Amino acid sequence: MAPITPVSALQAALAAEDAAIFGYGVAGAHLAGSIQSAAEHYWTGHSEARDALAAMISKLGAVPVAARAFYQLPFPVHDAASAMALAAYLEDGVTRAYLGIVAVSDPRLRDFGALAMQGSAERAAFWRGSTQAFPGMTASALLPGRPSSPPS
Amino acid sequence: MLLASAAAVPVLLGAAACRSEDVFAGPDPLASPPRPAPEVITLQAVIAAEESLIRLYKMAIDGGPGATAEARRLNSLLAQHEQHLVQLRARLILPPGQGGTASPQDRGSPGGSSPKGGSARVTVARLRAAERASAAGLVRRLADVEPALAQLFASIAASDATHVMVLGG
Repeated sequence: MAPITPVSALQAALAAEDAAIFGYGVAGAHLAGSIQSAAEHYWTGHSEARDALAAMISKLGAVPVAARAFYQLPFPVHDAASAMALAAYLEDGVTRAYLGIVAVSDPRLRDFGALAMQGSAERAAFWRGSTQAFPGMTASALLPGRPSSPPS
Repeated sequence: MLLASAAAVPVLLGAAACRSEDVFAGPDPLASPPRPAPEVITLQAVIAAEESLIRLYKMAIDGGPGATAEARRLNSLLAQHEQHLVQLRARLILPPGQGGTASPQDRGSPGGSSPKGGSARVTVARLRAAERASAAGLVRRLADVEPALAQLFASIAASDATHVMVLGG
């Protein structure tokens, strides 16, 4: 497996932010009222994050990956419920991408990734209506637990 | 093929002790148990903090009104902390006879005060503060550990951050 470099991790986060920006545009069209306002607020946040990531990548001497013109949606979005599910799905993707940044050796980037994924995990929880024990982590990354020690 | 019976081991160690004084001039490395690696100490401290947070939740639930929406909410968050603890402990393998948690000076509740011993009711505000402190504490430790463990810490910190939100933060 190729080592995770700062640039590759930041590029993955940038791609996830671009996907979120596109997806929030789709989701927002099916939302109304305060929920739609929340989606607009988050869309703005993702746009700002995209610009920040692009600047970081440029500073490292690389060319920021370009957004795609179109993204395949993971499932049909036709009402508020599916729009909210899409928003949660997008935030999960952003969370996974920022978790990738935590794997690089630069401690400043680790902190950056960890704090950014807290925001996306909170937004995912908002849309999903529930929290997760391990935001951003795949099941394969979790170890089978050992029997717990007796209560102290 | 080398076979090391229990009786042979002291002999082998004795032979090693007879080697060049240039190499073995320092203090005997077997004179006392080896110190755990810094990463082990960090993991032990994180485990102790997670255990402390779990105790705090149990106190809040035990002292609460029972089968209410709030109790269900707290039990749901408690279950996620218990999952955190399972994953943290799964990454700590110590020789038999050594404890799995931090030394007393490394212990401490994420909320900054010990949940032990007090009979005062644990409020949602206190849980919220403890969750916030836990998330911040985990992020502070990211630089001390290897990447896979850093990612686990970051994921648990993100989970804690969502708990703050659920608790009204």
